[in-house]
Amino acid sequence: MEFYLIVLLVYLGTDLLAAWGLNLEFGVAGVANLAFILTIAAGAYAFVVFTLGPSAAAGNFQQYVGGFSMPFPVAVAAGGVAGAVVGVLIGITGLKRLRQDYQAVAMLVVSLMAATVVSADTPFLNGNAGLVVLPNYKPFGDQDPEVQRWLYVAIVGVVCVAGYYVLRKFTRGPIGRTLRAVRDDEFAAAAIGKNVVTSRLWVQAVGGAFGGLSGALLVAFIGGWSPGTWAYVETLALLTAVIVGGMGNDLGVSIGTFLIAILLLQGVQFLPQIPGHIGLKEDLGWIVLGVMTIAFIWLRPRGMVPERRPKYGGGS
Amino acid sequence: MQLFVEAIGFGIASGAVIALGAVGFSVQFGMSNILNITYGSLMTLGAYVGLFLIDRSVSPWVALAVAGAVVGAISVVFHRVLLAPLVRRGTRAFALVIVTVSAGVILQYVIVAFAGPDAKSYGELSGQTFRLLGFVLTASQVTIIVIAVVLMLALHLLLTQTHLGRAMRATASNRILAQSCGINTDFVSDLAWLLSGALCGAAGVALAITTVSFDFSLGPVFLIPMIAAAVLGGIGQPYGAMLGGLVVGVATELTAAYSNPEYSQVAAFAILIAMLLIRPRGLFGAAWATRRLMA
Repeated sequence: MEFYLIVLLVYLGTDLLAAWGLNLEFGVAGVANLAFILTIAAGAYAFVVFTLGPSAAAGNFQQYVGGFSMPFPVAVAAGGVAGAVVGVLIGITGLKRLRQDYQAVAMLVVSLMAATVVSADTPFLNGNAGLVVLPNYKPFGDQDPEVQRWLYVAIVGVVCVAGYYVLRKFTRGPIGRTLRAVRDDEFAAAAIGKNVVTSRLWVQAVGGAFGGLSGALLVAFIGGWSPGTWAYVETLALLTAVIVGGMGNDLGVSIGTFLIAILLLQGVQFLPQIPGHIGLKEDLGWIVLGVMTIAFIWLRPRGMVPERRPKYGGGS
Repeated sequence: MQLFVEAIGFGIASGAVIALGAVGFSVQFGMSNILNITYGSLMTLGAYVGLFLIDRSVSPWVALAVAGAVVGAISVVFHRVLLAPLVRRGTRAFALVIVTVSAGVILQYVIVAFAGPDAKSYGELSGQTFRLLGFVLTASQVTIIVIAVVLMLALHLLLTQTHLGRAMRATASNRILAQSCGINTDFVSDLAWLLSGALCGAAGVALAITTVSFDFSLGPVFLIPMIAAAVLGGIGQPYGAMLGGLVVGVATELTAAYSNPEYSQVAAFAILIAMLLIRPRGLFGAAWATRRLMA
């Protein structure tokens, strides 16, 4: 039971980081990034490649590019950087001023394409089988396993707090106001001298870094990563968290993440198993998720905790 | 050389299926300006309706027609009940895409819940093999090519030769002007969704016939080459989508023949991304279409 609590806390922490990153892109800057899961995947793969050491050293039982034996903090940072790079690459597809729905579809296609390529290209990241973190991987040396697990929760917590601080800088500060201006009226923002493309790429980099950190911290805990764990529907789960919570509102998105990632997607696991229907509980989880997204867009498009309209002073 | 010719032959066969779906997608988009991602899962539904009938020893070609009718009807209801009200409320375009993606995921998992996650097959239908001009095609592939050509021809005649077809084209290009000319645009739009849904269901059965086995991801996987074909030909333009389907079909089969077969879909992805970035109005798109694609 205690172990399950630890699992839930790590999931919550990593999902929060990811949802904040997506909210920065989607809620604050208005980029409907349906390929967001790729930043998480990039962070996770980067972490694995930075900790596994050379492929040959472990007897080549899995193939991958690179292979370094870096300490934990470096590998996590590498995950963040990888997420940022992938975020910018995804952002480039949106550079051309396509209609927003075309942009979303282009990103969905990028997500599917990346999954196809990584699955098919075994020498790159071990293809469909995915990569496993070496079983003797210990970030904290030889401690009691239980202490180690709680230490890990603490690390995730520290990264979350630091991440939230950075996030507030972005959403509340001048950058956040610029991004909202670009989201609400691209042409007006451009007319007063805001560089729309640069600010979009910045937000893709920062949002991607959040995704990458999330992926790195998650994979270090669960110990393995394969194309099945980052299918495009996973982006939809995060997107639902953002929409249900309230686009552009950090607190709302945090509540939405808890509701969707923990209560709904973990909660369905406790439903009784119906014989002859394997996986029916998970299917139900996705169905409820989709219904919630549509219901919120229909009934309450601004979410449970709507974005606060900024009040600008000077009127006194 | 033999490999090349055979790949072209396979490309024409899969291009015919892609064209069926792409034309339906294009008709829908041209009428409503909505990028309907649920189309993929509706195609899967068509394939499973076909499976249900073929398991009860109905002829696959009857199953294709029935699946078309069923999916066509569902498509009209889907538009009427969910999408049209959202458009009337002024829901923004990217939110509509998220709605259609979500609806697609819902439908996909409903299908899984009923039919199970394991791979299905229509059984051995291919029949005898034809060799023509170096192409090697099975009887069912030839039949599907014929069906696709007949349906495309019928659609062409409908759009150009009948009053209804002219009304459809008028509504697609300017709804308000069409209304003021006395066209019942709601009816015309329902008809477009029925037609495109029927093509979608038929494409689903055709896909299931041409692939060895399929599962619940059939539609979403083949939706991308169809969107690629539709965008390549200029989205909203049925003729462009027909040619686009052929180009995408041949491109994917050539990729499969000359590199890793698992990369065949990547060719379609690459065509789509490149078109969106370089020439979003498509190869044959009119200049006016560009305005609809840009922000």
